[in-house]
Amino acid sequence: MKKYSIIIVSLILIIFAWVRCSKDYPVDEDGLLITTRAQCYVSNFELLGADFQTVRTTAAVIDTTALTINAVVFYGTDLKNLYPQFSLVTDAKLDPKITGKVDFSDLANPKKYTVISGNRIVKKTYTVYITVQPKL
Amino acid sequence: MQRKYFSLIPLILIIFFNSCKNDEYTVPVGKTGLNNDCIKRTLGPNIVGNNIEFAYAIALPAKEGKIISAQVEATIPAATGTYLENRSFYTSASGVDVGITVGSPSVTTDTKTVVTFTKDTCASTLRFFYTIPEAARGKSVSFTFSATASNGQTVSYSMGPYAITKMDMKLDLVATDNKACYISIADMAIYDAATAAANADKIDLVYLYRAITGITFNHALASPGASAEYLPGITLPAGVNKVTKMSKTWALNDFNLARLQYGIYIDDVDFQVVDFTNAPNFVINLKAQAGTWVETADGKYRAYVYINAVNNAASSMTISIKRYLMK
Repeated sequence: MKKYSIIIVSLILIIFAWVRCSKDYPVDEDGLLITTRAQCYVSNFELLGADFQTVRTTAAVIDTTALTINAVVFYGTDLKNLYPQFSLVTDAKLDPKITGKVDFSDLANPKKYTVISGNRIVKKTYTVYITVQPKL
Repeated sequence: MQRKYFSLIPLILIIFFNSCKNDEYTVPVGKTGLNNDCIKRTLGPNIVGNNIEFAYAIALPAKEGKIISAQVEATIPAATGTYLENRSFYTSASGVDVGITVGSPSVTTDTKTVVTFTKDTCASTLRFFYTIPEAARGKSVSFTFSATASNGQTVSYSMGPYAITKMDMKLDLVATDNKACYISIADMAIYDAATAAANADKIDLVYLYRAITGITFNHALASPGASAEYLPGITLPAGVNKVTKMSKTWALNDFNLARLQYGIYIDDVDFQVVDFTNAPNFVINLKAQAGTWVETADGKYRAYVYINAVNNAASSMTISIKRYLMK
C-alpha cells in the first residue's frame, strides 16, 4: 500500500510541475498580450487642455497612409500643457507612452508617436501636426 | 453504527432544543440620568470668518428633572457673531425646521457661550455657530459642550480638534471690462485704472471681454505681463506689469465659492500641489463654472479664481476667490 501511495504522490507532483512549466500566452515587456493581429493604425485622436476640455476646433484628420494627424486648436490654446489621447486598433500599443501633459509648443518639430501592432511586428510612426486657429 | 456513538445522541438533542428556543421580547429600557450627543454639521475647510456649525442634543427622563443650562467652551475665543441657539428645532411634516424657544439668547464671554433655559424642558437639540476668529488662522480649535440639569447632574461632550485653514476667501467680486478690471490677489479686490496705477505692484490679473470674429476669445483673464496679443485694446496703467502664472480649470465647483449643489471643497493642501511648471500667463474663453489656479509673480500667494457668472451684454464677470499664503 505504501509503495502505491508514493507512486501516486510522485505522479501528482510531476503533473503539477508539467502544467506550471508549460508555455503561457506570450506577453511583451509591458506585460501586454502579444496577439496575432497585424493591423496598425490610429482610429481617433483627441487633444485636451489643462482643464480636460477639448482644444480642437474640429475633428482631427487622421491619414493612415501618410501617417499624419492634423488637428486645429483654438486660438490662445496653451500648447505646453496638453493631454493627447490616441484610440488605436485592437491590441496595438503606442510608443512613447503618454503619462501626463505633453508640450506641443514646438510647432516646427511636430511630435511623433509610433503605433505597434498586436503581434508587435508592424510599427508605424505618426506625426501630429497642430495648427492654432488663426486670427482673421 | 458502533455502540459508543449512541451516547452522543442526548447531547445532540440538548443542543438542538436549546438553539430552537424563542427568546422572550423585552421592552428596551431607556437610559437614565442626563445624556448628551453632538455632531458637526458643516463640511469642508474651516475658513476664518465663516461658521462651524454643530448640533448639540441634551436629554434626561422627564421624571428626573429638567435642563437648566447648556454651554460651549472653545479653545480659542470666538469672533463676533458666534451664538448658541436658544431654540430647539423639529422638522415639520412639510420638511421645514421649526424652532421652539427654550431659553434666553446665548451670552458669549471670552471662550464660553451659554444658554440658560427658561422653559421646563427635558430634551433639546441646540445649534451652535462658531464664527472663526482671525486668531485661529492656521491653528486647531476644540470645543467642550456641556449641560446641567435641575437634579444637579452635568454632562459634557468634546468635539475636535478642527484645523482652521490658512486661506482667505472673497465672494462675488464683479469685474467690468475697461472699468473695474484690474484684479489684485494680494488685496483680493478689483480696481479701476486709477486705483490700479496707485497699487501697480499688487495687480495680478486683467479682466477683458472681446467678441472677435473667427476666434473664441470672449471672457478672459490675462496677467499684465502677458503678450499684447492677449490684451487687445488694453492700455495698462503705469507700472502694472506682473507676470502671473495660471492654470485653467473646468467644473471645479468649490462649494464655498460656487454655492451650488456640488460637494467639492478646495482645501489648503490643494494649493500646495498645483503644478505651475510651464503654466501660461493668460486664460481666454472663460465661462461660468470655469476657473483658474493662479500663482502671483513673487510666488507669495496662490489662489483659485472661480467664475460664478459672465455677462456678455455688460462685458462683466462675477468671480469668487480663495487665496492661500505660500510664503
